[in-house]
Amino acid sequence: MPAYERAELSAELKVLPSSEAERSPREQIEVAKRAASDSGLAREAGPETTVLAGGRREVLEATMKTVEAALDAGAHAVEVKVEAEGESERFGGD
Amino acid sequence: MMIQQTMPMAPTRERPDAPVTTPGKVGDHTERADGVPKVKGEFEYSSDLWMDGMLWGATLRSPHPHANIWSIDTSEAGEMPGVHAVLTHEDVPGRKVYGMEVPDQPVLAWERVRYQGEPVAVVAADHPETARRALEKISVKYEILDPLTDPEEAMKDSAPQLHLSGNVLKRIRILHGDVGAAKADVVVTGEYEIGMQDQAFLGPESGLAVPDGQGGVDLYISTQWLHIDQDQVAESLGLNPEQVRLTLSGVGGAFGGREDLSMQIHACMLALDTGRPVKMMYNREESFYGHVHRHPARMRYEHGATRDGELVYVKARLVFDGGAYASSSNAVCTNAATFACGPYDVPNAEIESHMLYTNNPPCGAMRGFGAVQVCFAYETQMDRLARELGMDPLELRIKNALKPGDTFPFGQEVPPPAPVKEILERVKDMPLPEEEEVVGRDLRRLPGGVSNVTHGEAVKRGVGYAVGYKNIGFSAGFDDYSTARVTLSVEDGEPLVAVHTAAAEVGQGLITIEAQIARTELGVERVAVLPADTRIGSAGSTSASRQTYVTGAAVKQACEAVRERVFEKVSDEFRESGGDLAIEGRNVVSGGRVVVSLAELVGAEEIEETVEFHHSETKPLDENGQGNAHLQFAFAAHRAVVEVDTELGLVRVVEVATAQDVGKAMNPQALEGQIEGGIAQGLGLALLEEIQIKEGKIQNASFTDYLIPTTLDMPAVRMDILELADPEAPYGLKGVGEPPTIASTPAIVAALRDATGQELTRVPVKPEQIVGIAEKPPSKPPQPGSSGYSGIGRLDEREEH
Repeated sequence: MPAYERAELSAELKVLPSSEAERSPREQIEVAKRAASDSGLAREAGPETTVLAGGRREVLEATMKTVEAALDAGAHAVEVKVEAEGESERFGGD
Repeated sequence: MMIQQTMPMAPTRERPDAPVTTPGKVGDHTERADGVPKVKGEFEYSSDLWMDGMLWGATLRSPHPHANIWSIDTSEAGEMPGVHAVLTHEDVPGRKVYGMEVPDQPVLAWERVRYQGEPVAVVAADHPETARRALEKISVKYEILDPLTDPEEAMKDSAPQLHLSGNVLKRIRILHGDVGAAKADVVVTGEYEIGMQDQAFLGPESGLAVPDGQGGVDLYISTQWLHIDQDQVAESLGLNPEQVRLTLSGVGGAFGGREDLSMQIHACMLALDTGRPVKMMYNREESFYGHVHRHPARMRYEHGATRDGELVYVKARLVFDGGAYASSSNAVCTNAATFACGPYDVPNAEIESHMLYTNNPPCGAMRGFGAVQVCFAYETQMDRLARELGMDPLELRIKNALKPGDTFPFGQEVPPPAPVKEILERVKDMPLPEEEEVVGRDLRRLPGGVSNVTHGEAVKRGVGYAVGYKNIGFSAGFDDYSTARVTLSVEDGEPLVAVHTAAAEVGQGLITIEAQIARTELGVERVAVLPADTRIGSAGSTSASRQTYVTGAAVKQACEAVRERVFEKVSDEFRESGGDLAIEGRNVVSGGRVVVSLAELVGAEEIEETVEFHHSETKPLDENGQGNAHLQFAFAAHRAVVEVDTELGLVRVVEVATAQDVGKAMNPQALEGQIEGGIAQGLGLALLEEIQIKEGKIQNASFTDYLIPTTLDMPAVRMDILELADPEAPYGLKGVGEPPTIASTPAIVAALRDATGQELTRVPVKPEQIVGIAEKPPSKPPQPGSSGYSGIGRLDEREEH
């Protein structure tokens, strides 16, 4: 039975690493993924991309922490796309 | 988000036929239109698809269950003559992950592989052998990691984390009553284990993707749910769903194994990249890596009862191995938890259900969907409890049987009909098969069959019972619906009804039932069921035993709407009262008098109606696992009679008797097929079928080594069908596909216990368990050379026992 993407909010974060930072591009991405992982909401969606899915507040807080971690690690930018799932409550989403 | 309707587009390949069928209304024995072509080998399965100029796709898979990928070099493969495309994760135009519940599975792996067989690259070439050789030229540098293969280990903090979200995919707890305060006179505990079963459908994954020249693609595919495929394929291709049109091709079985994606995105990527049609077709070995399997489970149970056999409480801890990716594991975890106590009135229950990620093959939907695993455990517990109480096991079950008005442990009231007691009494009352003299019997009717290894000296007979139940339809708040379009027209002077849905016929006989419904509701003989595709709204999945209920209801309502239009037309044109009108064959009649022929009334017009049927609302479970989560419940009881050579561990299942409530036998012939097929799959799990995995690697990816029951293994099936109408369901019907699989397994194992006295807590049961040497080798091991062991090593030294 599917429960396809029914979280109240999902945020897709793509880290664009800097080649001039102290840390390697790979490390910059790893730092961001670890920060996302700490939230318990994260899943990988590509080599540089992480998706956070869950309740609105927790996703937004985790997004902020992940972006900060990426920038602190030297990332050049983080592309963020936030989407709301209108019917999540009906489908048993967070 | 589900797409309701897709734009009609010109198909790029000739559409499959929609044969016109004639006899058979609801309740009639009706021959299926696809039956004869299948038997004669003339049916077009998806593996038979062909287009001039098409290329062949092939998939490079990880040989390792857990590894980092350091590099992928496709240059040599790409330069091979005849190779048209070599694609990796970098070429996925849209979302790089997919998944029915949680999009966690890479379309093509990028940095890490999490199971053996995970796709890493795909190739399109002008010949399948060229494609295969090109795969060999792709260089992937792996750093091999230790696989995490034990779900109990995966729960520990010290375990390597396989996903960013951790290794626990789902945890659910059901709290019912107060187990802590419950006082029991008798307590039994047990630990049970289920191996990984494969759906073993006969038609491997295959399909044909055809680019439309405008950036879109048409996909001809064998699947269980066209629209969820469409959504996921479009997302990963970076296209609008309207640009990805799917048509169902001939499906060679499914049983849940086609509910998730396999080669759909890959074939479309290759077709769009090359601008050519691309066919992909797995071979049998690849198929084992290409779809999800039934979840292996370890289950610990504790049952408490009064001295006179009333259940007081049930405690259970269920641990499921979800494998590397989520698929539909969340729902399986929930289903197992809700059905963990069986169809019994249990006043207090505490159920924990855990679903873990590991580096084993991904698991997901399979016939029975969580209800199978727990049924083996709770029914074994009921037998143990009966033994402890000194009661007849069947009487214990009847004493505790659920009835309408009781409350399930998940808080939902048991709706009528719930004939648990009645089906148990019916299997009890069926005559037992006569015992046959062993000596001199036809070999095929001896344990071990034509292998001629038993002569009957140690053959004993056993009888076992079990009962199980399961939900029908999607649950826990899912908006479950189906769409049907029905068109009445006149062709060559004869009325013709066309039925169009997106519901997948996977061999269960749905298209026959759709036609039966149309004939019943519209009174017209000639019906054509059009090929299922995404030109119409979703029908949902062919799973959860739901299609006859949900799509059947949509077809019924669409027919009723067409009939209403016909009567309105007659009323308008002939001033006849609508209440007396009926359609009979070619005519509209009133009180038996012909008012007008349909040919005259409809003429060159078409009367068409489209209906979306939503079943009644269900609710998600709350934090204590309580809620009206399920739509409908189906119950089946089984009695198995076995003969066992207790020295050699050989088994012959003599007979399986069953009583099942089906609400309404829509097509009795197809119903019998479903029941026999379900029992075959239950027998397979009891005795034969297990994907053998060592360190995350499949050891038996073939039908030579993965054993499924043959006609020689199948017993006679005695069945008693109850038709107790569900007042909420169309025609009162209940889903019938899954219940035969659920309790047949524990019934057979109970019969084995009866014959052997062994505990048998794991399925499939192996010969060494039957003869009692699974854990402890015989005190006097056979001498090498004396019994043929010298070639394969002594039994007590072999690792696999």
